[in-house]
Amino acid sequence: MTDVAEGPLPSIGDTPRDTKARSDFPGESSMWFFVVGDLLIFGIYFIAYVYYRGQDHDLFLQSQARLNLDIGAINTVVLLTSSLFVALGTSAARAGKTADGVRLFVIALACGAAFPLLKLFEYIPEVIAGVTPGTNLFFMYYFVMTGLHLCHVMLGLVILCFIVGNLRGSAKPNISFVETGATYWHMVDILWLILFALLYLMR
Amino acid sequence: MTTYIRNPLTIVWALLTLITVVSWLTARGGGAEHVVNATVTVVVLLIAAVKTQLVIWHFMEVRSAALWLRVATMSWLVALFALLLSVYFLALP
Repeated sequence: MTDVAEGPLPSIGDTPRDTKARSDFPGESSMWFFVVGDLLIFGIYFIAYVYYRGQDHDLFLQSQARLNLDIGAINTVVLLTSSLFVALGTSAARAGKTADGVRLFVIALACGAAFPLLKLFEYIPEVIAGVTPGTNLFFMYYFVMTGLHLCHVMLGLVILCFIVGNLRGSAKPNISFVETGATYWHMVDILWLILFALLYLMR
Repeated sequence: MTTYIRNPLTIVWALLTLITVVSWLTARGGGAEHVVNATVTVVVLLIAAVKTQLVIWHFMEVRSAALWLRVATMSWLVALFALLLSVYFLALP
């Protein structure tokens, strides 16, 4: 990142955005409506999960004990790290540091790609041990919620690829597109933070 | 590179990672994994709420967004975790 060393990057992190003039939030408004809608829908799943958990504590706790807590925690840090690089890349792109933006988004993509790989290391031993969504209510929620989340991750990875392409392929990248994709990726992160607490951590 | 390491966003990430480790250790230290433990649940859910708010506020830049978006995201967060904790405590044995 040699071009960073040329001087401080005043607009990374907490400076007013140049997009302020044209909107009151980063990216497209349609993405924000999607994000709020998706958070509401997942919110209903989360509450339903805790409700059914309360109906049969023993079943849920014994099933939960079969999950790989360590992979879950590592995946949380992986997604948080990916989100950090997306946020830094967005700020760099906005500040006109396109080369830095590309590098930061590529690192974000690499971290993001680690998530489904680690998830496979979790799913495969579970399925081999005979655990499926039909095993019991806990595993139904576990597979449906983490599966839906994994679909969001895969779509997010495709979006991150498009962002890298956008930053690489144009002298004047579409910052609104970068911000819109970044917003989606952070939402994927948020959903996992809550899933991790509900499925792996609470007792 | 130091520009990014010293960035406020990196400090937020360090805090997020730190409290993730705290919640991981809290769950591990919860003793026997097969028993209900309200203390562990409250700690890990509150940590999840704080982490969610940090991501929304700093990474998604909602702190500098329009008022309606700040209110909408904050309302969702407070309502969700209040409901999760209420449903949890109502069903405790």
